[in-house]
Amino acid sequence: MNPYRNKVILILASTLLGIGYLFWNPISRTFGLSDEPVSSGNILPVKLGLDLQGGMRVVLEVDIIKMFDDLAKNKDQNFDQILEKVRTEARTSTEDAVSILKRNFSEHDVRLAVYYGDLQEQNDDAIIQKLQNEATTAIDRAIEIVRNRVDQYGVSEPTIQKQGSTRIIVELPGVKNQSQVRTLLQGTALLEFKLLKEPEFVSKTFEAINGTLAKLHGVDTSTTAASSDTSAAQNDSLATTTDTASSITSSQTKSDEQWRKENPFYAIVQPPQQGGQEGYVLEEHRDSVLKILSLPEIQKVIPADVQFHWAAKPIMAENEKKIFALFLTRKEPELTGGVIENAKVDFVLNQPVVNMEMNSEGAREWARITGANINKRIAIVLDKGVYSAPVVRSKIPNGMSQIEGMDVAEANILQIVLKAGALPAPVDIIEQQSVGASLGSDSIQKGLFAALLAFVLTILFMMVYYNFSGVVANMALILNMIFLIVILAGFKGVLTLPGIAGIILSMAVAVDANVLINERVHEELATGKTTRAAVDAGYKKAFTAIFDSNITTFITGVILYQFGSGPIQGFALTLMIGIVVSMITAIWVTHIMFNYIMSGGKTVNFG
Amino acid sequence: MRLFKQTHIDFMGKRRRWFAISFSVIILGMISLALKGIGWGIDFLGGTEVVVQFSRTVEVSEIRTVMSNAGFSRAEIKEYGEASRILIRTPEQSEGTTVADKIISALSTSFPQNIPQILAEQKIGPKIGAELRLGAMYAIIASLVAIMIYIGFRFKFIYGVGAVAALFHDVLVVLGLLSIIDGLTPFTNFEIDQNMIAALLTLVGLSVNDTVVIFDRIRENQKIHRTMNLFDVMNKSLNETLSRTIITSGTIFLVTIILFFFGGEVNRGLGFALTIGIITGTYSSIYIASAVVLEYVNRRISKSPETAMLKVKKSGELVK
Repeated sequence: MNPYRNKVILILASTLLGIGYLFWNPISRTFGLSDEPVSSGNILPVKLGLDLQGGMRVVLEVDIIKMFDDLAKNKDQNFDQILEKVRTEARTSTEDAVSILKRNFSEHDVRLAVYYGDLQEQNDDAIIQKLQNEATTAIDRAIEIVRNRVDQYGVSEPTIQKQGSTRIIVELPGVKNQSQVRTLLQGTALLEFKLLKEPEFVSKTFEAINGTLAKLHGVDTSTTAASSDTSAAQNDSLATTTDTASSITSSQTKSDEQWRKENPFYAIVQPPQQGGQEGYVLEEHRDSVLKILSLPEIQKVIPADVQFHWAAKPIMAENEKKIFALFLTRKEPELTGGVIENAKVDFVLNQPVVNMEMNSEGAREWARITGANINKRIAIVLDKGVYSAPVVRSKIPNGMSQIEGMDVAEANILQIVLKAGALPAPVDIIEQQSVGASLGSDSIQKGLFAALLAFVLTILFMMVYYNFSGVVANMALILNMIFLIVILAGFKGVLTLPGIAGIILSMAVAVDANVLINERVHEELATGKTTRAAVDAGYKKAFTAIFDSNITTFITGVILYQFGSGPIQGFALTLMIGIVVSMITAIWVTHIMFNYIMSGGKTVNFG
Repeated sequence: MRLFKQTHIDFMGKRRRWFAISFSVIILGMISLALKGIGWGIDFLGGTEVVVQFSRTVEVSEIRTVMSNAGFSRAEIKEYGEASRILIRTPEQSEGTTVADKIISALSTSFPQNIPQILAEQKIGPKIGAELRLGAMYAIIASLVAIMIYIGFRFKFIYGVGAVAALFHDVLVVLGLLSIIDGLTPFTNFEIDQNMIAALLTLVGLSVNDTVVIFDRIRENQKIHRTMNLFDVMNKSLNETLSRTIITSGTIFLVTIILFFFGGEVNRGLGFALTIGIITGTYSSIYIASAVVLEYVNRRISKSPETAMLKVKKSGELVK
């Protein structure tokens, strides 16, 4: 038996695994293992960067100075003048905004307590501390506000990242309407408390929409009315599986189809249960529901004083699909978020609760509202998204409310949302980049063509020049390519244009390793050694050169990854992965292949 | 197939001549950089940039008038790859993204029959531009220092200096040539943006790779031929590695030239920088990196008292 057989099997197996991983999505669809719809997002194993895919990238910065302005009380001309100076300085300085503020106020001999003090706190240092806290938490509020808005807008696969302590990077692939997105991201956050409509009213409205829509689709209304019993049964099955179509047996399919035709709205929206106040919609149907609700005929049957609101966060169904609740509230908010003084997470009997404080004016209003709506639900709505809709248990006289019944993560988000209403963290666009999909696809096409042409020519050359050993080197090169992409996909890396430059460099390094080895083997053969001995000596002697040159290039990669910004990091990442992989494929894999062949008694032609 | 049989080229003997050539190329490039300069990309400069596609060709001068009327007299306007694609860039700064909106609305109202489609749009705040410039600079300096330390550690310190000198040479030559060729033809509009920095870094990687391979052979030959002087060891090593150098560099040259011609507008600058870079990177491994080491060693030998007895025969060639 060939002593290298096991190693060859290992190499072949890992290659097959790699290919399988890369093409899992198309493969699983072909064999019916997954019914995920085909989209550019999942057909490629690696996510493409915005420069290749087209889309919009926005860097937002929390406008701390504007926040100082919003926080101040008893503002006068003097304050405005000093703040204007702070703003001009902060625009170009790298100094921390709070310390700029502190310095300017002390230069003008004005105490911060005049504008930021309250009854308990008159000490400037304590105020600075408080402002510093607000500044550091502002970014979390801003991120939640932005995430909520992007979700409400409905962009597929957005990325929202925190950069440093004041910046947010938002990447929206495939977004076309740039000015709309810009206003969306920059506007001031609006927090509202809205009363949910009572269950009977909600059910009636849903029924009316369903009936009207059926009529619009040309279905006889009498059958719709008759089928209202079946609709209840259907809802139950929808609630348990959320994917009725696949779970219903063939004999039922026809009646199911019939039912869907007669209830076009309920086919995609699960109406409220007995006594419930919200409908449920699968994520994939959200756009259709929005379209239906905006039809003029449907608008007519929705009373003018109510409004639909989506839940800000989806519920996860068992099959990992996202379900969004659809609420119906009074159009007029009962109260807006400006009255909130503070919100924080506390624990009562080990259960997280959110405590919310209102100012005296808000507390008065709140007492009236809660008193009049006991056992009704009030939705907490930020920029149209419903974060929570708690039931009012009793009249709240002093503005101190407690919201319970959620996990720690939800409580934290709710606290951020409530504070965002009190203190909207204003953001400014400091960097904006959008690449039209046409320019993106143009650069992909040309870039890919160039890369492919270069790859093919390199492989041909190696084959012609090094003969059989060139073929072995080419196999290593192809392996290198496969593993590089597998690892990049595994790291959830993003392929950008500079990233392609990194791949080209690492390919060059891999080719060089094999050229070094082959040239060395030639030299050894020239001294009269047998092929076997020449191969071993060639690998041994070429190793230090390959190792040292690869390590130097790798060090460059590490440093670039540390210091560089976005695009340069993309370059560094593919370069580092490529070098590590090529150390394995170009040295180890090719050596085993030669040994395997030679152990089989064949000779190798080194060209 | 073998292209190169054993060669016996006297590389090191002609090093002074090549020093002079390198020096003059760099000086020419520096003069061009100083006089003509090379544009910074929008990402380093800050400002607003819009790339639009007209359905019919529009004169650049016409667009310039429109932009001046809209209040952007400092705007830079040029064709982007093809005649109907126009890049407009202005250093103007304002809150949010109002500059881009103004540019687009000015174009739409001025060319109602030929309303342009927006291909790309970019706004960079002044703070970000400065930060990116600084970040890129730190990254390049730090990697040069790290390369010097690693090579100095694996070989001798002077080898690290030689390698980094070669890298400086390569970057300066490429920057100089970019500046000279920039704008000479419609296809060669270059600027220093983040992609170009990535190209320069790629070239640093390629060049140092090549240098290390040669240094490695020198190190090996020094161990084998203990009595041979450095001049001869270097020439021997360079000849022995010549075949590999030409094949590797030739393959990479092929790749980069394809990138330049077929890679599209976005890749063209990258392809150009790399094509020049692979030539100078290969050359500098011989005539800068190795030659610097040789010059240094020769000077030390002629200065040190133990070797004062040695006679210097030809230029730099030492004989016991």
